[in-house]
Amino acid sequence: MTVDGMFMWAMILLLFSAMLTLIRLLAGPTIPDRAVALDSMTTTTAGAMVLYGVITRQAVFIDVALVYAVLSYIATLYIARYLVKKRVGIAYEGDAP
Amino acid sequence: MNFEELFWAIQVLVGLGLLVTAVAAIRLKNLVSAVIAMAVFSLILSLEFYVLQAPDVAIAEAGVGAGLTTAMYLLAIKNTTDEEVVE
Repeated sequence: MTVDGMFMWAMILLLFSAMLTLIRLLAGPTIPDRAVALDSMTTTTAGAMVLYGVITRQAVFIDVALVYAVLSYIATLYIARYLVKKRVGIAYEGDAP
Repeated sequence: MNFEELFWAIQVLVGLGLLVTAVAAIRLKNLVSAVIAMAVFSLILSLEFYVLQAPDVAIAEAGVGAGLTTAMYLLAIKNTTDEEVVE
């Protein structure tokens, strides 16, 4: 097996694991489950983008993965801020809710 | 595995993911869940542009889809209820 074939199989496996996180995103009962699934799927897909850039040997494609990693961080940050403001998933402090 | 087979497999996975996340973004009743599903839709659409050799379009789609629309929709939903009101 050549090096390129190995990178191709790695990219296919990364995309397949992204599809597995997609199942958690569709079936997740709470919103924090879905937010974590979104973050995990973005990281996995950024890795797949870097592998595609290596396979096609074009350095421009690495920049897309870089930009997407930074921007998905901002999106996850906004979702987390919203969840903190709405107090989703925070345990009650004190005795009575 | 050669490049043609890789391209074919990526196209199948991307198409299935686009279909599933688009249906989820429409059907989910919780609005924040729908926004998250739309962020994933934008991610997979950006991957499709990327695979079709258009990295600049992919960067624009990433900026608009991941950063701007998610933040804007969440800022709008913050002022409303987060469940869809069924008449």
